[in-house]
Amino acid sequence: MTQAKPSVITEEMRAAIGAEGPPAVLEVEKTNCRMYARSVGHTDPIFYDEAAAKGRGYRGIAAPPGFLGTPTFRPGGGSGAPGEAGGRNFSVPYKRILNGGTDYEYFPDAPDGDVICAGDTITARSSILSFEETEGSLGPMLITKRQTTYTNQNGKLVAKMDGTLIQY
Amino acid sequence: MAEQVYFEDIEVGAEIPQLKKNCSTQQLVLWAAGSGDFYQIHYDKDFAQKTGLPGLIVHGALKNAFLGQLLHDWAGENGQVRKFGCAYRGMDDPNQDILCRGVVTKKYQESGKNLVELDVWTEKPDGKKTSPGTALVALPSKS
Amino acid sequence: MAEEFQITDEMRAQIGKESEPWTYEVTTTSVRMYARGIGSDNPIHYDVDLAKAQGFRSIVAPAGYIGTPVFVPGTNDPTFGFPRRSGGARLNVPTKGLLDGGTETEYFDVICAGDVLEETSHLADIKTRDGAMGKMVFVTNESVYKNKDTGKVVAKQKLTSIHF
Repeated sequence: MTQAKPSVITEEMRAAIGAEGPPAVLEVEKTNCRMYARSVGHTDPIFYDEAAAKGRGYRGIAAPPGFLGTPTFRPGGGSGAPGEAGGRNFSVPYKRILNGGTDYEYFPDAPDGDVICAGDTITARSSILSFEETEGSLGPMLITKRQTTYTNQNGKLVAKMDGTLIQY
Repeated sequence: MAEQVYFEDIEVGAEIPQLKKNCSTQQLVLWAAGSGDFYQIHYDKDFAQKTGLPGLIVHGALKNAFLGQLLHDWAGENGQVRKFGCAYRGMDDPNQDILCRGVVTKKYQESGKNLVELDVWTEKPDGKKTSPGTALVALPSKS
Repeated sequence: MAEEFQITDEMRAQIGKESEPWTYEVTTTSVRMYARGIGSDNPIHYDVDLAKAQGFRSIVAPAGYIGTPVFVPGTNDPTFGFPRRSGGARLNVPTKGLLDGGTETEYFDVICAGDVLEETSHLADIKTRDGAMGKMVFVTNESVYKNKDTGKVVAKQKLTSIHF
């Protein structure tokens, strides 16, 4: 019988479950909406052309699905999560990291929600939902599930993102 | 873009039009710029291999965004993609076809919205599903 | 191959012919990305409040960054991003090798996030030279950038590409 592997989940990590981290500011701008759309290969002009987006009822160029803004980068840190796999990482003895998956939910309807458009400033608030330890084909793994809530400059809820991080 | 699809025309079990992708390494760099994820396993082969991977792999988040495009284009100008996501279960390589597919699993009305649930996924040329997920789309009604 | 390439009178006649304008945008996202790309930690490129306190309209574009051309799929070059448009020469030099030969930038004003610029370009020079890699073709394009709101020229750039 193999010995049970020691848990890498610390008291500090357990205490962090449910606690909201510091908010991060993300900006939705024309240049990055286009860059994101271009990199995916979108063809809908609402992701590139302001007139086309406004013609379809958007306030400005629409953010493509999955694009929730760019963190306001400061050299030396102090800004938000870069992409999905970011956020506060605890010190664990696993050197490698993989993105386990992401689910997005949008709230495009007024009065409490809105669509995301170029010109918006989004505040992201993130908390850890759970830690799970498991053994897979890559060896022992720590699976962290995190939820991030996104509100815009008018306080409207625009998105929620559930992310799974795998450290191994 | 294709013609608008309407709630009444949707059948449970039907497959939505497929989207075929094939990422060059250049596209992976474009995606790094667009997403802000500069993790080297997607463009630096030596680095990728040092972490134990066979070579460069496509960002999971990019495959998720492909599924976003699949749904956005299908939902049309008057549809709304309300939820979508997937698990990055299998790895996909650059310069290889990635087929994005979706099948309707449920349709119903709730709070005045016409909603359709789907299973969505990306698939390798041999048919292996690499990013299984689900989606929720609101569609316009003909009436 | 460059060895067979000849500069024709037709090509020389393109020199100075101005292209249609194209919009270049300077945003906080793109300024920060460029600054981050060069490894600058000067807060003038990142911190809007600090930049405004120093009298700028917003964060300042790092030297060399003159905005991002509006990207239209099918119109902009997918690798280099430049617009394919009528007027102004984007000479097609059919060689395998391509290198950046250098860029000179002249400023007439500070460029900040929020600026929307209008750019026109023309062929400035074309010449061949024999070098270590054989015959090389040097193509220089000159771009003029105007602020769309004020109509004033804010920068000029000379960009040289080497085809071999």
